[in-house]
Amino acid sequence: MAVRGYEKALGLLRTLPRVCLYNIAPIPGSNKRSKRGRGQHGGDKHGAGNKGSKARQNYMRIGYETGNWPYYLKFPFEPYYLGHHLKRQYPPLSLGQLQLMIDTDRINPKKPVDLVQICNSGLYKINPQCKHYGVHLTDEGADNFTAKINIEVQWASEPVIAAVERNGGTITTAFFDPPSLFALTNAKKFLESGEPIPKRMIPPEDAISYYTDPKMRGYLADPDQISWDRLVLAQKYGYTLPKIEEDPDYEMLTFRKDPRQIFYGLEPGWVVNLIDRMILKPTDPELKEYYKG
Amino acid sequence: MLRRLVIGAFRPSGCLQGAARLSTIAETNTAEVEQISAEGFQSPMIVSRDLEFPTNDGRSRMAWVENMDTVQEKKLGMVDLHPDIFAIPPRIDMIHSNIRWQQLYRKVNLVQVNNRAEMRGGGRKPWQQKGLGKARQGSIRAPQWVHGGKVHGPRAPTTWFYMLPLHTRLYGLRSTLSVKMAQDDLHIVNALDIPTNDPSYLEELAEERLWGPSVLFVDDTDVAPENIAVAADQIKHMNIIPVYGLNVFSMLKHDTLVLTLSAVERIEKQLLFFMHRSDRAKLSEIFKTDQV
Repeated sequence: MAVRGYEKALGLLRTLPRVCLYNIAPIPGSNKRSKRGRGQHGGDKHGAGNKGSKARQNYMRIGYETGNWPYYLKFPFEPYYLGHHLKRQYPPLSLGQLQLMIDTDRINPKKPVDLVQICNSGLYKINPQCKHYGVHLTDEGADNFTAKINIEVQWASEPVIAAVERNGGTITTAFFDPPSLFALTNAKKFLESGEPIPKRMIPPEDAISYYTDPKMRGYLADPDQISWDRLVLAQKYGYTLPKIEEDPDYEMLTFRKDPRQIFYGLEPGWVVNLIDRMILKPTDPELKEYYKG
Repeated sequence: MLRRLVIGAFRPSGCLQGAARLSTIAETNTAEVEQISAEGFQSPMIVSRDLEFPTNDGRSRMAWVENMDTVQEKKLGMVDLHPDIFAIPPRIDMIHSNIRWQQLYRKVNLVQVNNRAEMRGGGRKPWQQKGLGKARQGSIRAPQWVHGGKVHGPRAPTTWFYMLPLHTRLYGLRSTLSVKMAQDDLHIVNALDIPTNDPSYLEELAEERLWGPSVLFVDDTDVAPENIAVAADQIKHMNIIPVYGLNVFSMLKHDTLVLTLSAVERIEKQLLFFMHRSDRAKLSEIFKTDQV
């Protein structure tokens, strides 16, 4: 077996004097002090060129066109931006990244994966305050995706669904309203706040069609339709659909949240006491009625 | 390697330091080691442990476990060490940045020199502007005057505090442990119990085992056994610290590092936990000094 480089380094250390406070040094040139040189040592114009705005650091403001009527004043209205600040955004996560997370033990594929697991990996950034409504699972790296998982995302396309189901996994697209997203993206902070778990609201009008579509594996779609569409998709993409009924992980793969539920295993209305490690459930009939429907 | 190791183990004490130093690095071959141990020792003990976050590329490290209750060294057995802690690429520059940080972050300047506004007097124009043939002056505390104020003098309090990134802190600790291990300056003992509280016992022990004059003992507990605490207290270059006090500066300041088995366990557990936790980026956020 070839000797690894660091083994050589460690072996070399055995013949060298003892490393102590007086013979250590940084890498030469690593902490270079920024100095303004004089004369031949970078003096003269100090690298700023000869004359002009670059030499004087008076850069033109953004959008200024040296006297022309600027573009942003010439066309004040761009209709395709209408309401863009209100549109829902789904920060992307590629299948390749997901596979890497699973391979590096950031995500446990033996349990259902949802936004909580993805956020807890520490590798996915999302901010519900910026109109981020969850994960958009993209098809980059779909050819190399080999994990068998039960994943719940907020947006997915057809090839992504095919890539997950080809490996015997299942995928659901589910909508979460902003209060639910705050709870999901930082579950520990939410549970420590002592508030009861809110109930998940139904999707807005323009998202209803997506989340009730069995082709998109919407969480509000008919399960029978979904199992039919799984077969259709397998034929379209030319793979044989693994039978999840015979899978040893059948329970895990078919585990789904209730449309009103936010966390796996916790129902809306419950309060989780992390200090005493106990769960408080509502007893008032009115509260029960509210969280039920 | 194993052959050399065994020769190192049986070599009579008091031989050349370089030869005796062969004792700590070994490649794992548990069966062979067990066999040799059974032949060589009365009570062989392989302290095999389940390492957390095991490496999957076949790397391994083992070290001898020694005793402290006799001056003569007795090898009690061998222990598995995590190669990600005790055999990583030695980065001297990472060690240096840790040392620099440890010396700087606690430094506070308390020296203050008055500027012209803070000096006493000097509000009056010392002489008229024109007509005297003298240079024009506005204040007797101007910086060009003797006993004038100081421009850009030291101002208190000035701190040099900064936080070294978590990764660099971890790497510095692991690098130093690896360097100590590679240079045979790291010894693992079963416990810090010694039979007497006489400091000469510790000095004899260090001389007998060719531990450098200065020794740092690290234990898992806050309270050291009484004998060693009393003995080490009278020797300025032998010190005892708990695991949570382990730092790069102290390890390099002392020639030899002596860890107890429980200290090894704790060090590995803590370092591996911080190496593998997923919210490492968030931990350093509160120390950012350039927040907008």
